[in-house]
This record gives sequence, structure tokens and C-alpha cells, in this order.
Amino acid sequence: MSEYASINEELDWKKAERIVAGIDSGAVNSKALILLDGKPYAFSQIRNRTVKESAVKAADALLDKCGMKMENIQYAVATGCGRMQVPFAAQTVTDVVCGAAGAVRIWGPSVRTVLDAGGQSCKVIHCTDKGRATAFLWNDKCAAGIGRSMEVFADLVGKEVTEIGKIALQSDKFPKVSDFCAVYAQSEILDLMRNKVPVEQAITAYHYGMAKRISTLVARAGVKKDFVIIGGLAKNPGITEWVEKLVKVNRLAPKPEWDPTYTTALGAALFAEGFLMRQGAGK
Amino acid sequence: MNKEKLLAGLDAGHIHTKAVIMRGGEILGYSTVPTGFDVVAAAITALKDASSNAGVSGGALDGIAATGIFKDVAVEPPLQVIGTVPEYVADAKGAFFLNRNSRTVIDIGGNIHKAISFDRNGDLRDVIQNDKCADGMGIFYTNMARALGVSEKELSELALQSTGDLSLAVQCSLSAESDAIDLLCQGRDITEVAGAISRFIVERVADMCTVMNLTREVVVAGGLAKSPALIKHLASLLKQELIVLDLPEYVGAIGAVMNDGGGE
Repeated sequence: MSEYASINEELDWKKAERIVAGIDSGAVNSKALILLDGKPYAFSQIRNRTVKESAVKAADALLDKCGMKMENIQYAVATGCGRMQVPFAAQTVTDVVCGAAGAVRIWGPSVRTVLDAGGQSCKVIHCTDKGRATAFLWNDKCAAGIGRSMEVFADLVGKEVTEIGKIALQSDKFPKVSDFCAVYAQSEILDLMRNKVPVEQAITAYHYGMAKRISTLVARAGVKKDFVIIGGLAKNPGITEWVEKLVKVNRLAPKPEWDPTYTTALGAALFAEGFLMRQGAGK
Repeated sequence: MNKEKLLAGLDAGHIHTKAVIMRGGEILGYSTVPTGFDVVAAAITALKDASSNAGVSGGALDGIAATGIFKDVAVEPPLQVIGTVPEYVADAKGAFFLNRNSRTVIDIGGNIHKAISFDRNGDLRDVIQNDKCADGMGIFYTNMARALGVSEKELSELALQSTGDLSLAVQCSLSAESDAIDLLCQGRDITEVAGAISRFIVERVADMCTVMNLTREVVVAGGLAKSPALIKHLASLLKQELIVLDLPEYVGAIGAVMNDGGGE
């Protein structure tokens, strides 16, 4: 079970007026982050066993790292497919809405289309300059699990999951595999191995197939500029560059200070802050 | 027969490459390595490991018999392959060697599952293999263990504790994976999800088996035969006693040797 937590040492939570948390309970990883007066303070990410367990662990890892207790968090919002399972969240907000809010916070008000390519699902979200989601399109069931299938695929070709995305950009010529079904695509990759196709080409073929699957979704939803990609697959250049080529729109470059997997958790934290302030105003 | 000959059986599968070292009717050593993308390199490593497991030097081998989906890739030099054996034949011969009373072997591998029936000499009678939509049950099993954050052994243990009858999509392993994830997100108990995963796999295997007469004794081979939960669920679905072969993942490799003159 992989676990990861980091903290912005320049901030001190004891001096903060508003302390809020966003928890993105995803199908593969749970992500949690804390905002101090609107500024990102601490991040953690943990691999699921069960959704509830990992959401709790992600939050615990976060609190441990900061030396905080759960009571110190004034408001927590949960999002992601397991949002109903997060016991300490005061509210839940759907990941579509949080993804848009987080993306606009990271990239600014010019963002109009967000592709959220996660472990289990892919969705395309349209939003306003305030980060309000206006429309979205979800993948159909057949296109589920592309993010997670990358790990399986990496095992299949005997490479690290972090390196296959780069390898997928090394071949200009490569055979085509199914761009509809990942099960077919994986079988076809095994056939390519049998036909002694070089490994770089097979990796390219798989990424191209999956990117094509994702870009059909993007094309169906329509792309309005600016375009950004969030979620775990945003870190796989083999997917992002092929999607850019296929939909013929360049994404805004990733921000070095933001890991794109935290975008939706950030959106949840922004909602937590909004709820907290409204609560304060009501008193 | 070649009682004195020291032979290696190589089963170059989709996911794993298996090697056994045999002399006469005796298994001296074995080894499994991931196939990865370089089939020949995997074969060489598997053979080397199996040889050292058997306590013989690689140079002492009198020959290699190859089977598995990548058998034709693995025959390339420097390996001294004396013959290649179709996977069905190898499975039948291997199962028959390991259990003289067996007449049908169900082989659940990484990417393909198949059932083979044979006569009392171990000669092939009937064969059935999964359709493409049901490819990758072994991959699916590994993948789902990872999704649940447990080992493959634990997945089986959890599935055995399941008492409910949750089920996943009937057709595609990708849809089944989505269903399993949905169940987890709904907060369903991990043992029930594990049970559903196990039942999904055996339903696909049992589906395949309905079109063939399973003559007894029925034995099970392939990597997934090592999951007691799958065996339990499959036996109950087929209403059939199932015997798990010793070294189930090596049945093909053993059969390759038996077919190429490694008999008693």
C-alpha cells in the first residue's frame, strides 16, 4: 500500500484562522489536502484497500504529518466515488464539480474544459471562469479503468508504470490495437509480442489506443479553450500528448507546484472553505 | 523411452514463462519468471533457475521441449529446442502424467482458459477455449487483488469467507472491474467483493465448460488453480469434484517433456 504525505513548512496551522480539508476518495487512491486561510498546506495520498479505510488513512497521514488532530479541522468536504464512505466529512460534493473548481484555482479563470482522467473513470467537464461546472460527460462503462489498466499493462511488458508514458512517445510507426476495449487491446498487445514487434511500438500502440478512446469522449463533449488535464493519467505523457494530438488542442502546461492528482481534492477543500465562511456568516 | 535423458520443458505463456527439469518420470526442478516483452530472455532465465533448482548445470541438458503461446518465439538460438508441442497436447500429457485417472483438465491461465479431454493414453479427444471477451482471467485476478490492496493469496482467503451472493457483470472483465469498484465505493464488505470477483471468474470458466463433456476425473491446472476460492466456487458451479494437480502452473511444461520422449 503506497503512502505519501508532504507539507508546506512555510505555513503554521496554529496561526491560521481557517483550517479546512478536502478528501478525494477515488477508486484507486484517496487524496487529502489541507488549506490554511485558502493556502495549500499539506497533502497526502494513499492506495485503497477498502475505500473507507483508505480515506481515513489518508486523513490520518495528513494529520500526523502536521501534528494536528481531527478537531483542528474546522470543515471537511469529501468527494470522489467513495465520498459517502468518508466518516469525518461534514458535506459531500460530486467530483465533477470539485474537479472544475480545483482546475480553475490551479490554472486560473481561462480554463473552460477539464479532462479528468483518473484510475477508474474519465470525464470531461465544462466550466465558467469562476470554476463552476456547467456540463460534463462521463465515460461509458466499456472505457472504465484505463488509469488502472496502465499498471497491469506495465507489468505485461515488464516496465515501470512511470516510464511507459515516455516510451510511448518514441515511435512514429506502430501497429494499431483496439481503441474500444481495453481487454481486447491487452490481448492484441500480447499478439504483437508474439509477432516480435519492438516493445516501444507495442507500448505506443497501447497508449495511442487508450488516448483515442479518451479523445472520442473529449470530442463528443466538445473542447473549449483553455483545456487542462487532471487526475493520475495527467502524469502520463504518452496519454496526454496523444490526446492533445487527437483532439487537436494543446492543454495548459502542468503547474510545477501542483500534482494534478490533487486537483479534485483541492476543489473539495475550496468548497469546505466556502461552507465554513457561510457558516461563520450565519452565526 | 529416454530414461537416461535429462530434458527441460518450457512453457512460454502470455504472462509467465515456466520451466521444468525432468529425467525419466521424475521432476527434478522448476522455476517461473514473468514473460515480459523478451520471450527468449525469459525462457533462458527460467531454464537457468530451474536447472539450479534441480541441481544440474544448464549444459547438461539433452534437450528442451517447448510449449505455450510463445513457443515459436522461444525456439530461437541459443536455446536447443528439440521440439514444440501444441498447448492442448502439452496440457493433456502433463495432466495425465500427474494424475493417471484424469480425463479432463481445465487450465485457467493468465490470459486464456481452456478445457481439454483425453483418453486413457493421454491422447487428445476434445478441446474448448474461451472467446476473446473472456480473455485475461488471470490478469483480472491479479488486477483485482491489487485493487483491493491484498495479495492474491489473501484475495482467495477473503473470497472463502464470503457468504453473500453479490455478483458482477456477466460478460466482460472490464465491466466486472467497474462493478467491483462500485461495490467498494458503496462500502460493501471486502470479503463480499472478493467473493464476487471469484464467482465472476468461475462463471466465465463454467460457461466455457458447458459446451464440452467433462469426462472424469476432472483436474485443474494453470496459475489460478492455486486459488482455493476459485476451485471451491468452480466445483460448486460445475457440480463436479475437482482435483487440483500438483504444481498446477507447470502442467504444460511437464506435458511438453512427456510428449517429447520424456516418458517413463
